Parts: sequence; C-alpha cells; structure tokens
Amino acid sequence: MSRSRCNVLICTGGGCVASGALELSAAMRAAIQERGLDGEVQVFETGCLGPCAAGPVAVVHPDGILYQNLKPADAERIAEEHLLKGRVVKDLAYEKRPGSMEALGLREIPFFRKQVKIVLRNCGLIDPLKIEEYIARDGYMALAKVLTEMSPPQVIEEVKMSGLRGRGGAGFSTGIKWWLCREAHGTEKFTICNADEGDPGAFMDRSVLEGDPHSLIEAMTIAGYAIGSSQGYVYVRAEYPLAVERLTRAIEHARERGLLGKNIMGSTHSFDLEIRMGSGAFVCGEETALMTSIEGNRGEPRPRPPFPAFKGLWNKPSLLNNVETYAAIPSIILKGASWYASMGTAKSKGTKVFALAGAVKNTGLVEIPIGMQLGELVFDIGGGMREGKTFKAAQIGGPSGGCIPRHHLNVPVDYESLVELGAIMGSGGLIVMDEDTCMVDISRFFLEFVQDESCGKCTPCRVGTRRMLEILDRICEGRGQEGDIERLVDLGSTIKDTALCGLGQTAPNPVLSAIRHFREEFVEHIRDHKCRAGVCPELVRAPCQNACPAGVDVPGFVSLIGEKRFDEALALHRERNPLAAICSRVCFHPCESKCRRSTLDDPLSIRSLKRYMVEQEKEFNLPEMIKDGANAKRKVAVVGAGPAGLSCAYFLARLGYRPTIFEAASEPGGMLVQAIPAYRLPRDILRREIGMIEKLGVQIRTNKVLGRDFTLTSMKEMGYEAVFLAVGAPKGAGLGMQGEEAPGVTEAIDFLRQYNLTGKVPVGKNVLVVGGGNAAIDAARTALRLGAGSVTVAYRRTRAEMPAYREEVEEAEREGVKFQFLAAPVELEQEKGKLAAVKMRRMGLGDFDRSGRRKPVADPQGDFTMPADQLIAAVGQALKPNEIFDGVSLKLNDREFIAVNPVNGQASEEWVFAGGDAASGPSSVIESIAAGEKAAVGMHAFLAGMGEIPWRTSRMVDTFFDPDADPVMGTRPGLKLIPVSRRKGFAEVETAWSAGVALAETKRCLRCDYRE
Amino acid sequence: MPSLTIDHKTISVADGTSLLEAARQAGFHVPSLCYLKKVQAIGSCRVCLMEVEGAKTLMASCVTPAFEGMKVHTNSARVRAARKTVVELILSDHEGDCQTCDRNGDCELQTVARDLGIREITYPGSKSIRRKDTSTPALVRNTAKCILCRRCVTVCGNTQGVAAIFPQKRGFQSVIGPAFTSDLSEVVCVQCGQCAAVCPVGAIGENDETAKVWAAIDDPKKTVLVQTAPAIRAALGECFGLPPGTLVTGKMVTALRLMGFDKVFDTNFTADLTIMEEGTELLTRLKKALVDKQPVPLPLFTSCSPGWIRYAEHFYPEILPNISTCKSPQQMFGAVAKTYYAEKIGKKPEDIFVVSVMPCTAKKYESQRPEMYASGVRDVDVVLTTRELGRMIRQGGIDFPNLPDGKMDSVLGASSGAADIFANTGGVMEAALRTVYEIVTGRQLPFDNLHVAPVAGLAGVKEAAVKIEGTVREWAFLEGVTVKIAVAHGLGNARHLIEKIKSGEQKNPRDTAAQYHFVEVMTCPGGCIGGGGQPRLTTDEVRMARIAAIYKEDEGKPIRKSHSNPEVTAIYEEYLKKPLGEKSHHLLHTRYTARERV
Repeated sequence: MSRSRCNVLICTGGGCVASGALELSAAMRAAIQERGLDGEVQVFETGCLGPCAAGPVAVVHPDGILYQNLKPADAERIAEEHLLKGRVVKDLAYEKRPGSMEALGLREIPFFRKQVKIVLRNCGLIDPLKIEEYIARDGYMALAKVLTEMSPPQVIEEVKMSGLRGRGGAGFSTGIKWWLCREAHGTEKFTICNADEGDPGAFMDRSVLEGDPHSLIEAMTIAGYAIGSSQGYVYVRAEYPLAVERLTRAIEHARERGLLGKNIMGSTHSFDLEIRMGSGAFVCGEETALMTSIEGNRGEPRPRPPFPAFKGLWNKPSLLNNVETYAAIPSIILKGASWYASMGTAKSKGTKVFALAGAVKNTGLVEIPIGMQLGELVFDIGGGMREGKTFKAAQIGGPSGGCIPRHHLNVPVDYESLVELGAIMGSGGLIVMDEDTCMVDISRFFLEFVQDESCGKCTPCRVGTRRMLEILDRICEGRGQEGDIERLVDLGSTIKDTALCGLGQTAPNPVLSAIRHFREEFVEHIRDHKCRAGVCPELVRAPCQNACPAGVDVPGFVSLIGEKRFDEALALHRERNPLAAICSRVCFHPCESKCRRSTLDDPLSIRSLKRYMVEQEKEFNLPEMIKDGANAKRKVAVVGAGPAGLSCAYFLARLGYRPTIFEAASEPGGMLVQAIPAYRLPRDILRREIGMIEKLGVQIRTNKVLGRDFTLTSMKEMGYEAVFLAVGAPKGAGLGMQGEEAPGVTEAIDFLRQYNLTGKVPVGKNVLVVGGGNAAIDAARTALRLGAGSVTVAYRRTRAEMPAYREEVEEAEREGVKFQFLAAPVELEQEKGKLAAVKMRRMGLGDFDRSGRRKPVADPQGDFTMPADQLIAAVGQALKPNEIFDGVSLKLNDREFIAVNPVNGQASEEWVFAGGDAASGPSSVIESIAAGEKAAVGMHAFLAGMGEIPWRTSRMVDTFFDPDADPVMGTRPGLKLIPVSRRKGFAEVETAWSAGVALAETKRCLRCDYRE
Repeated sequence: MPSLTIDHKTISVADGTSLLEAARQAGFHVPSLCYLKKVQAIGSCRVCLMEVEGAKTLMASCVTPAFEGMKVHTNSARVRAARKTVVELILSDHEGDCQTCDRNGDCELQTVARDLGIREITYPGSKSIRRKDTSTPALVRNTAKCILCRRCVTVCGNTQGVAAIFPQKRGFQSVIGPAFTSDLSEVVCVQCGQCAAVCPVGAIGENDETAKVWAAIDDPKKTVLVQTAPAIRAALGECFGLPPGTLVTGKMVTALRLMGFDKVFDTNFTADLTIMEEGTELLTRLKKALVDKQPVPLPLFTSCSPGWIRYAEHFYPEILPNISTCKSPQQMFGAVAKTYYAEKIGKKPEDIFVVSVMPCTAKKYESQRPEMYASGVRDVDVVLTTRELGRMIRQGGIDFPNLPDGKMDSVLGASSGAADIFANTGGVMEAALRTVYEIVTGRQLPFDNLHVAPVAGLAGVKEAAVKIEGTVREWAFLEGVTVKIAVAHGLGNARHLIEKIKSGEQKNPRDTAAQYHFVEVMTCPGGCIGGGGQPRLTTDEVRMARIAAIYKEDEGKPIRKSHSNPEVTAIYEEYLKKPLGEKSHHLLHTRYTARERV
C-alpha cells in the first residue's frame, strides 16, 4: 500500500450502498482523477461506519471529517474544496460544534466518542475484500498465536476468563459452551455460525459480514481448533446477498493463503468453511431449527435436551455462536481475557453492538461497553430525541424483548438489569420511541411478527400467539373487553412456560412488558376507546381531535371556517368545548403537536384559526339543549368557577339541569382570572364567555368559600343530590427554605391572584422568579409590566426541560425577562428584615429522573449570589384538603389530590364528583374543560341513568373535500403579535389574523377525518 | 438405571426412558396427544407437560429423558393450569362438531378434554385453514378437525416411507397435507390409511360408504353378498368394547345375516384360492429358471396388499414383473362371485352386489381399479372397513357382544386355517409354504404346528430358508434346493428389503441364485390385522393380541392347508379346471402399471 496524502473512506455497508454509495464512490474517483489528485488521494470502499440513517457517508482522513447524506454530485465539491484546497465542506459535515458552523472531527463527535469498538473494530476502516488490509490490522495474528502457542484447553480458558457471553440473545457463557463441545464424545464435530439475524431492525451481524468478514473466518477457525472440529458452516439468510458475496470472497482469499484448509499455518489443525443460505425464516435463528435447516429439512426446532453441544448438526456435537460473538474472539486472544473483562459489569463483560433506531437523532450501529446507562446511549450517542418530542420508551431485544420506560433511563444496559425490567439484551435491536408511539400498537406489531414467524409446531406458539394477537387486534380496534389485559397476561405467561423453543417462550415478552410498564394505555384503549398516541386508526378519527383532551372536532371547525360558515364552526367547537374564545388565546394546543401536516411541512396553526373564528362571532348562538323538567328540578352544584367548573355547569345545563356554581373569589374564572394575565386573556373576553354559560340557566354565586361559608355536609342538608368539586390547587408548594416568610418572598400564585383580583400587588426592583413552569413565566411578565427593574427566572434545569409553553418563554425573553438556567436558590439573604439577595447554587445534570429528564445535581463549588428584593416562588401548587372537606372524607390519590374515577370523575363518595386541578394537580385549561364534561356526563348518569349524550356522537361535517386532490401547498403563517415596544400595560399581545391568512391556512388541513 | 422422584414416588427406569414413560410405568395417568409410543415423540402438542424442579419452563415429558435424581411433578397447580390452557387452545381451533363426528366416543382429544375437566374455552378465536379432501376413494381428510399432532406425518414418512403429507405453511396457518396443498389423489399417497389409523381425532378417516350398503340391502332386485377378510374377526369386537384379540367370527356372521345380507361368505375362501394360484406361479417360475434356464423375474413378491401394489407402481416400477399376477383375495372373490356363483344361482352379474369388509382403506381404491371388472361389471361393489361395519352393526340395533355364533354360507364360505393367517405378517408366506412344500414333497411342512416361526412376529424384516428334500417326481428338479424367503411389513421395511435386494451381491433379480425366491410384503405394520381400516388405536400390544387370535383361529380349524379346502377343490373341478389355467388367468390374475414418483 503506497502512502497517500489523503484517504477518502466511503462506507459501502448495505445501508449506504442502498442509498447510493457506489455511485458516490465512482463520482469521487472521477473527481479526484479530474483534478490530477489520484497520486496523492486514495479512495477506499469500507464496511459500515455506523450512522446508517445519514448515508451515504464518507470520511476524509487524516482530518477525520465525516460527511453525510452525500449525493454523487457532492463529490465534486469535496474534491475541489477539501481534497484540493484543504477546506472542510461545512454544510456536508455530519456534526458541527455546538453554536458554530465548525465541523467536528470524528473523535469529537459524541456518536463516536462514547463508543468502544471491538466487534466493529475494522468496519468502516478497511476494505472487506482485501485480506491484506485485514492482516495489516493484526488480522490472523490471533489464529497464529493460538496455533503456535496455545493448547485448545488454553484457548477455551482464555475465552472463559474473558467473560464473553453469547451475543445472539441468550447470553450463555461462550467459554463454557466451547468447553462442553470439546468434552462431548464424538470424532466429528461442527463449528457453526448463526448469521441468520432475524430480529427486525438488527443488522450488526450483517455489518460484520459485509465490513470485516475475515474476523469471522479467523474466529471460527480458532473455535474449530479449540473444540476439535475441522468443518464449519455459516448459516446466513439469502436476504443478505452482499454479505454472502463478501464472505464468499473472503473464504476464497483465506483458502488461497492457506488460512483455511488442511494444516493451517503448517499446524496439525485443518479447518474449512461452507456457507449455507437460509430462506429467512425467523425461527431458523433458533439453534436447533437452524441445524435442522442446514440438514435440509423444514426449519423447525427440536426439543432440548439433547443439547447441540452433544447432539447437534446431524446428531454430532456442534458449536453454535453468532457472528458478533465470534467477531470478539480475535481481540480477546490477542489482547487477553483480562483486557476484555475490564470492560462491562460484574456479570456482563466487554462490549455489545446495538442497532439504534427510532425517534432519536442519530440512528445506526453503535458498540458500547456493557453497563452503559440506557439514557447515555439514547441521549449522548443517540443524540437525544428528535425535535420537540419526548422519550417514552426504548424497545430492546426485538420480538423477544421488551420495553423500558422513561423512569428507568438510568438502567445499566447489561443482561441481568434488562431482564429485571422485562426486556432482554437480545441481539441488540434498540428502538427508541416517543409519545407518538402507541404501546398497544407496538406490542401488537411485535406479536404479529412472531405470530407470522412461528413454525407452527407446538400448540402454545401456534395457537396461543394467534389468540393474543386477536385480543390485541380487538383492543386496537376499540372492541377490547373487560378482562382482556388479564387474559393477555395469563395466556402470555402460559406460552412462556409451555412453548417448545426460544421463539415461543419469548414471543409474549413485548406484550407482557408493555402491559407491565404501560398498563394505563391498554386500559384507555379498552375503557375509553382512546389511543393517546393517535396511532390506532379505529380509535382515532383525526390525530388533532384525538390529541384534544376535550375531543373538539378540529378538522370539522377548520373546514367550516374555510367555507366561511363561522357560526356553524363555533357551534361545532362548543359541542365539546364551550370556552372557545378563552382557548383561542391560552390553549397549549396539543392538537398541533399531533397534526399530520407536520410530516409534510409544518403543523396547521389550529389555535390561530380558532382565534380568527371567535373574532367572527356576532352574537351567541345557544347550543342544543335538552328540555327536561325533572332534571331542572334536581339540585346540583358545582364548587369553583374555573374552567373545569364552568365546563361542567355548561354541559349539565345542556342536559336540562340548572346547576349552581359556588365560587370562593369575588369574580368567576378561577385560574383564568386569577393567574392568567390580561395581556394573554383580556378580561372582557373572559366575562363574555362566562356570561354565555350563565345564559344557559347556570347561577354563579361568588365569595362563597367551601369550608367557611358552607361544607359538603351542609350541601347535602340543603338537598344537593350531586356536587362537582373543581376547587383547583390554590396553594403554592413553597420553597421549603429558611426565611421564606420574610417580606419580599411570595408565591407566584398569590402574587398573580392578588394583582388580577385587586389590580395591585407589591413589585420589587430586582425580581427573582424561581421555577420553570407557566406560573413562573406569567409572574415574570406581570412583574415586568408592573415596573420591576429587572426580572430573572431561575430554573434548576436547562431550557429544554422547562415545562412552560415555549411560545411564552420566547415572548418573555423578548420582553426583557432574563433567564438563569441550572441554578437553584439555597439561601435567602436579608437586610433589615427584608430580602436583599439570594444565594444560588450551580446545578449540573445527572442521572435521569422518573420523568425521563436529567436530574439537577448541585455543584457546591459554583455558588453565587444574586441581588433580589423580591423572590417569587413558582415551584408547584397543592390542594388544601383539610380546609375543604368537612365531615366528608374523600380519598386522595398518591399525589395528594382528590382520587376520582377517570371515566366519570366520581370521587370516593358516590354523590361527589371532582375534576380540574383539584383532582389531577395543576393541569391545562383544556384538560380541565374535558374533566368538567366527563363529570357532567357522570353526574347525569348518577342522577338519571345513562341516556344519550348528544355531543358525544361524532358527525361528519358537510364541507367539501376532494380526497383525490393533491394537498394544498403553503407555509404556516406566524402568530400575529404586537411589537414589544407597545407591550407596556396589559394590552393583549396577540391579535387575530386577517381573513386572507386564515382562510388560506384552513386549506392546509389534510382532512384526516375524511372517511369514504 | 436412573432413579427419580415423580410426585413423591421414587422409581428406577431404564436408561433413555422418557419422563412420560417413566410416569406411566409408575402408574400415573399422563394425558398426551402427539406422542405415540415407538412411533413419535416430538413434544409438539405440549399436553404431557410436567414440572421438573430446576427447569425454567415446564417440560414436555414425552421428549424429556429421565435423569438420576430428577424431581418431577405431574399434578402441580402450574402443570394442571398449563395443560388445561394448552388443550383449550387446541380446542379453540378445532371444529368441535363432536356429536356428528365419526370419532364421537373414541376421540383422544375428547378424552383428554374430559379428563382435564375443561368446561369452556377461555381464548376463543378465528379458525385456521379449513379444507376437506375427498379426492381419493379411500380417505377423507378434514383439516378443520386436525390438531397438527403430526402422527400421520410420521407414520406416512417414517413407518411407510411414502411421505405424501407433511406440514405446510407456518404459524397459525400451518396445515398438514400434500405439498402445495394439493389433493391426496395428486400425490404418491398409497391410500393405506395408516394416517387414519393413528389420527387421535376425526381429521383423517375412511370414505364412509355404509349408506350404499344399506341401499343395496334395501333393494329387492339385488342379491347382496358379503365377504369378510380374515383380519376382521380378530378386531371387530373392539368396536363394541371387547378386548383386542377377541375372536368374533361367529357373532360377525350372525350380525351380517341380521343386517340383511343375502349370503355371508368368507374372503378366506379366495385366500385359499390365491395360495393355489400363487403357489403354482412360484413353482412355475422356479421351474422355468432352474429347468428351462429361462430368464424369469425372481424373487416373486406377493400381491395381496393393494397399498403395497400402488407403492411399487410409484416407487419401484422396475420390480413390477416380480410381483405375482394374482389378484388379491378380495378381487378374486368378486370375480368368482359374479361369474361362478352367479351362474350357480342363475343371476346376472349386475344383479349381484358384492360387499367386502376389509381391515384396509386401500381396498376401497383397489376395488375401483379398471382391471377389476373381470365379470363384466365391477367385481366388488363396496368395500367397508372394520370400523364402518362396526358402525353399521350399531345402526342396525344389534347387540353384538351377546349374539350367538353363526356359520358362513357355502359355496364361497369354506376356509382353511392357512387362509386365516393371511391376516398377519408372515401369514401369506406360511400359507404358501404349507401348500407348496406339500405339493413338491408330498409331505407336510416340517415346522412345529405348521408355523414358520422365523417369519412370524413384529420384527420389520424377517427371513427364513427351507431346504427341499425328498421331492416327488414331478418336482425333482427342486431336490436339495434351499428356498429362501423374506417377509416385510410396513412399507418402510419393504423399502429397506427391496434396497437390500437391489444392492445385493446378485444384482440381477432374475438370477435364480438371488438372495430370495419368495418375498411377502404387507403394507401395514403387523399385516392386515394392523390395517388402516381397523378399530383405533392399533399399538404393538394390540397387534400381538390380534395375531394371537388369528393363530388360534387357524389352529382350531380342521383343515389348515389351502389345497385341502373342499370348496376350492370344487371350484377347480367345476369351473376353473386348474391353477393358472385360462379361466384363472382371466378371472384371478391382473397386471400393473408403472406410475410417476410424484
């Protein structure tokens, strides 16, 4: 090999070949030749480099710059700029330094930096078709060492000591397996490699075969020497033509050089290899089925014992390992067992390759030391979740594996820890899932796979998996039955206990594990016919509507707006959500985050459309009401005039009741009036919409405090038959620090309430707001508007973890609110009995907490002090149960809010219902509205027995839609906000769109609700 | 001799004994479906599960060898629940039309479900592929009832070496059947019915033709004759709960008369006739070879077993010239019934309806072969299996176990003991030797009680040699010749024997010094007593009991040699004139057709 100035390594793994690596390679060679660089620059076609989704990829050495998503046309630019002029082509580079455009070198890219490559040591570095390149990387040195210096028992001892375990899935000690096979009686023994790799998404074996086939040949020859076998078979699926081709060539090259065949390297050891191609039946990855298939029979497992080590292929002692296991052997022999065993955990040594897939930024093949935290793998190597999505679970181990939810992100990835959580290491398939994955659906997917791939020999697998699939099918289709979850668990456990082979014994795992960690989602599918991820077609009319807690018919009202039928649009909206004008301003629009349009360009701007719609309202059109004299006479009450209470009263009124709302404050609206500032929600809008509800016959009595003016007992005495408690979570949680009572320290909720109800509140000069939620932002922006000199929001994590709505944070920043991330108050410093400064502690991010976010970890070295004469704490809210429950003891949930039946809001006393923040803890307006509706229906059922609920049957709107037309193109218009310079007082920041913008936007809707 | 504990009972068993056998030896009742002793142990149905201490999962006891010190539980809560679920799963995909199924009352699945106390199916659901194959005259397969135990696959592939059916497709869509889900008639199925004989449920059975027989009996224009094969009398009783090996010849005759058959005859009569013809054929071939030095196909193979004939036609067409041209006793009967007997009673062949009762499903096929119209019409109209006859007797309201004995009608009803033993492996050979030896030497066959012990019993391939000494003048050329014979039962064994003959030192089977002169092949293990139409389930114990009964019948007969049967003598005198004569050639002999292997 002549030395060259520059080497271009082009990945020609299967993935990159499929996306055009060979064309790229040809173009690169041509571009180099054109510039007369062929003397100094060499192009190599290597095996897989790992970041497969970014393919085709190429590396330019010695700079170590990785280029991604290359088209043949890009070869020109790389040749001209980088190879000729030495300038990195930044826009093609795989990863840039954060905050700059500078390309990161291979060693700095987090995706590579945390990997340890043993199995994949040569993949992406050498040309798999050149045995010289393998030899140049110490190839066949391990074989030479074994044949010249080591006895077979010594080889086995070395493998045993290394702690290497079978990488095919079961994790049996490789050394013990070799030893058993050596000890087995028989003159003829076989060394077999399982390259059947059937797990969906796993392709590490293919990568080794394609990128470094000699490592397998060398390892199998060593294994043959160790167990006393002279014939090996590689069983590889026919779907891997490139792997078969390269391995075939490698075997030929090895034979030519005497590295396979008789008397290898002049020793007494003779060994040869044959490739046997399988037709890609998943079950043929099971060792006995694999051997049956090599024998030429239908690939079906046979009972064990006898184990293959004693009676395997053609009833002869046989050693079977998978590709990845073998590929680790040469390094173990050369560098020693203790080197290998220095990586990993106590029981799981070395490295493991994972096929990282799903919702992470960096997908592809990665090799990590066993025992790395799952979160590290997902967030550091995987680069974290794609834009705006949160980690939900990782599915590990393919169809035999299970899922790991976010509160276990700290789990070390090793055999034992994964099994403990109901997953397995398996062959290393790792699919990262975000909230758009339905756990019922994904478990059905895996079960469907094994159900199809079952060989059909034993009853539990053949019939049992089918029955499980049928149950899952009906759950996904909304036909789930009470007891289905238990049926799945019982049947799944029985299949595990009774099936003939590993396939059947692990087939129920994905389902059992999904039930274990995400039981609630199964319950929702069965009980509520709800798929929260918006995936199951029969349960999801349109993803936006599905995402709306209140179930507003979004495509319906959007298309009505498009036809300028505003009254009908609004009426349709108020079928499920009366507070249209309020929500058009304050809703955090979960609908938009599920909008399918985002797969095309950007989600529909649903809230802005709603804003445009409510602006068109001339006068209230009362909704459809049931006239029922009997209902009207019954006494029903609502406690709390927040969104939940208002919603409940509205729906009760529509069912013919005349509910009374008791409100503790002087003005109705709850958090809408007490917490949300007027610049977000003008008060006339609020009053107008509350007035609409009063017009339906709802009576609101203010300044009536539960526990002070009346009690649950007294209500009962007054003859109320049913009551809805929507008292909110009015108490700030407090910082729990010394000096909290000092003047200048206040709770965000108190601060906001005082201002919003009385029109004035003391504001400091230097205001420090502690917290990262919406209350913190509201308090900060209010303080700023009330004349605070400076307002800083301190949050103990980073911006990415903030629960506040992103738009609000951005506007606050634009208005001048400062942010101090990774900082938490530790001490309040007073001067003359007043707050003067706050000692802050620097935080770092550590392990993952139950919410899947990294925990803030204090760094005592980094303390600093911030001057502050006012501290507004916004770190959570609580219920005041003792003050309100008088004489009636209601059960609380584990978060100390009122425990209710999630279907109808019924509390532990049958006549008491609850919802909103009082039951769910601080939640959004739209969630509270939904809770009010549920409780209204629940109270109606309690009082009158369940009748038809008119608004719950979905109806198609009669708007025009041409399903065959192409989607209307167009970009999402921005929000219409008044400039910061004009935001002095509490004038509304956002204004409505013009008709042109709004009507154009409606056309972008894809009408997912359309069914023919 | 590992010693193990099963449910607190410690026992020692032979090396290699499965847990299932060990438990059964220890007196435990262990339910199972796919397991079939000596035939199949594959652990597929998972009904025989046991809990082995230390094992991660439950173990299928049929395939788990007993080890020293094992602690096994057959009746733990875990085992009971698992077995129940497994059987419920099987039932969930099973047709379940028990009341109208021909296995109603003798179905192994029914029994297992009953024993496990299953009262409902916890996991009902869709059904897998439903397909009924009625393409062959002999067998009906209904995948709706199949539980995929694979016993049929193993018997067809291993025992019979035919491999006409195997698992197709995967998972829940798995179905047992011929390749590419073709019909049985399109593949090499020899219609022996061994699949039906081992089926634990009603998925494979004979093509039921009982209605045709009732119709014929009820037709006043028809003279309805019935012939019963020798194997029936040792097995029919099992249809009525009598133990295997109970001889019911007399009750059977009475029952047939009560049912309304005009004449009750015996296939034994034509079995004796077969010996006359086939024995003569053997001697003729030997003479041609030894005296005339003509090339003659030897060894001579017997031809009574229609499954074997079809097997040879498909798999070994090259040996068809070696197979005796004699029709089977069933077909000889049909031919003489519609000619010789018809003339005697003055009826036209078309007015005579011949029913035969056979232990065999392939006989249904044989009776439909185009060669079997010697009388001008179809010689045998309907073939019933033993099981069908049992059903008809029930339908007739006949209290079989308490019937008095009846006697066969004359002139096609007399039988020698030699004819009886046609029913079991080695029997045709022994019957032939009894006659041939006596013809050649004038003396009785020099074996104890006339039994050629070396060819009796259940060994797969048996052989013997008989040295001929003291010949009569006509057969002097055989003086000192050692006649070598071989017997195979079960087509898998037949294949081994043929391959051995083909690869023998004397490759040319026409060579008189060939390994064997005369070879008997019976399609089914044990011979006709183990036929595919016999009461289920035929195990080796059952086979031995039936064989013992047959020998008892033989030994009880005053006449034990075919050539001594007076009615046989009579038919030659009155009608056929001599063995291998012109009439015999027309009525009693046939020809074979080479067929494709697939």
